[in-house]
Amino acid sequence: AEVEETLKRIQAHKGVIATIVVNGEGIPIRTTLDNSTTVQYAGLLHQLTMKARSTVRDIDPQNELTFLRIRSKKHEIMVAPDKEYLLIVIQNPCE
Amino acid sequence: ARFHGNPRSGRWELVGPRPPLAAMFADGTAPGADVQSLWRSARSARCEAKSCQTGRISTAETAVQSHTSRDAGVQTDQSKDAVQDFQQEVQVDYTSLLSFLQRVEDAVIKELNKNWKSRAFDGFEVNWTDQNETVLCLHTLSYPEAQDQNLQVTSVSWNATGSVVACSYGRLDGGDWSTEKSYVCTWNLDRRGLNPQRPDLVVDVPSSVMCLAFHPSQPSLIAGGLFGGELVVWDTSRTEDPVIWRTGMTDDTHTDPVYQVNWLPDAKHRNRARLLSVSTDGKILVWREERDGRLALAEGFAMVAQQIPRSTQLKKFAWGEAAVGVTSLSFSHFDPRVFVVGVEGGYSLKCSTAAETLALHRAGSSVPLRAPAELAFSPHGGPVYSVSCSPFHRQVLNLFLSCGTDGQVHLHSMLQTQPLVSLQLSKKYLFCVRWSPVRPLVFAAASGEGNCNKCFCFVGDVHLFDFGKSSQKPAVSIKQAAGECPVYCLEFNIKQTQLLAAGDATGTVKVWQLSSDFTEQGPREMTRLEQLASEITD
Repeated sequence: AEVEETLKRIQAHKGVIATIVVNGEGIPIRTTLDNSTTVQYAGLLHQLTMKARSTVRDIDPQNELTFLRIRSKKHEIMVAPDKEYLLIVIQNPCE
Repeated sequence: ARFHGNPRSGRWELVGPRPPLAAMFADGTAPGADVQSLWRSARSARCEAKSCQTGRISTAETAVQSHTSRDAGVQTDQSKDAVQDFQQEVQVDYTSLLSFLQRVEDAVIKELNKNWKSRAFDGFEVNWTDQNETVLCLHTLSYPEAQDQNLQVTSVSWNATGSVVACSYGRLDGGDWSTEKSYVCTWNLDRRGLNPQRPDLVVDVPSSVMCLAFHPSQPSLIAGGLFGGELVVWDTSRTEDPVIWRTGMTDDTHTDPVYQVNWLPDAKHRNRARLLSVSTDGKILVWREERDGRLALAEGFAMVAQQIPRSTQLKKFAWGEAAVGVTSLSFSHFDPRVFVVGVEGGYSLKCSTAAETLALHRAGSSVPLRAPAELAFSPHGGPVYSVSCSPFHRQVLNLFLSCGTDGQVHLHSMLQTQPLVSLQLSKKYLFCVRWSPVRPLVFAAASGEGNCNKCFCFVGDVHLFDFGKSSQKPAVSIKQAAGECPVYCLEFNIKQTQLLAAGDATGTVKVWQLSSDFTEQGPREMTRLEQLASEITD
């Protein structure tokens, strides 16, 4: 459906290694990686996103987390949070 | 007194009453004074005799017997992914998912684009751990009895957990058939009371051990290849007799020393592995365990000179049916059927376990031997002593290194016969080359002069080479021995990646701790390696 098309568009972008969609409980619902890695990413990033969100709101209760980016030596992980879902995209920014 | 008599003979005499003779002193006894003791009577006056008795203690006798017990075993099932069905179980509301994706898609695409073009992080590197700048020698391990017999370290191996290092003693420079006793010693480096002169375990072996390999997942099994062509497997956790399997001397065993032994994962039985042995009699044999402690031949390959494929650029040698002595072997990490062997003639050959053609081998053996060679690479100037396949390369062009007595290291890609890079590392023989398990561009090579002659001795070196730093000379050269004997073998520790063990001809094993730039992967190493691999010359 359109869901698949949207995900395919994101996945086809330059340097994207993987795309994962996680629901509000941290359970992955769409992924392009193998199961064990997906579960690992979903669990860890869900927790980190909740922590980041509460950090932003503690500093300023009027503020809200919009986007989370983690840059590591090998690639960059981008998380787009929402009330019900989480979109995780892993990109290799090859310079 | 009155004078009596006449004055001429008178005598005086006492007149009057005569006094008593002893009037003033007389003997007598006086009664002594004594005091009667009162304490007994006083005491007894105040004491009373009493007795007491504890009340009755109730006791009872009973017996307890445990219920009958039974042994049962529990085994978790492997490879059943618990989350396999997660996609079906979770109810997905597609409309809300779609609206979510539509909301975030633009933001994500924008960030992806920005990231792709961003130069913000160029050259930005963070150090999380303390940088260790130098290469240190952590331990110098040796077994004095073996050193007294002038035995050399022929092979080192780390075990599956990375905490035990084992070395085998033997002779690499003895040409004759030797029946000298040798040893296999292990040291556990994580133990507190580590005594470098006293190994934790010493196994006496009746002949020289030429090579060793620890089992890749069971930390107590070691396989060794002997000078006589046999293979033995020891279990270091058994105290009485550590030998658990051996090939024995049958028609199938090698007729020359076994120079390398490897464990192969068995595709059919998960927890059993097979052993592969390589020897200069030209045979590469795969052994499986039999029940009575024997190793039986499962399959085998033989390298015969006539069957080695030659490319048009290489000269033809009239070897005929001579066996080609194989000195080393390395499996490709990505295709388990492909392996590379180094032979005494100076060639490295690409071989496959799926080869079908039979070898023209004279001696009979229980399993038909096949000829595995598919491609011959351009030769070294002397015998090849060691080959090593890179654990890193992703694409089909597998990279491997080969080194030999000409002091050169060749970096080959399996697709072409000419080497990609050819380095003259030293003027001495190179005995062993190994890729680093963590840094795709780093390898180590062990060198040293071949003869340990008392007059002409050169210092043995371990060279660490980094393609990222320089393509011409080693990044670090470590002098292993203060004495002057060659370094015969080295192994990286896969679990503790900063450790490198190297064994030399004086009979010592040195464990080196590498500096951080050899243990941490840089940001763009894989791409650099791929660039190196794609510089194929025509």
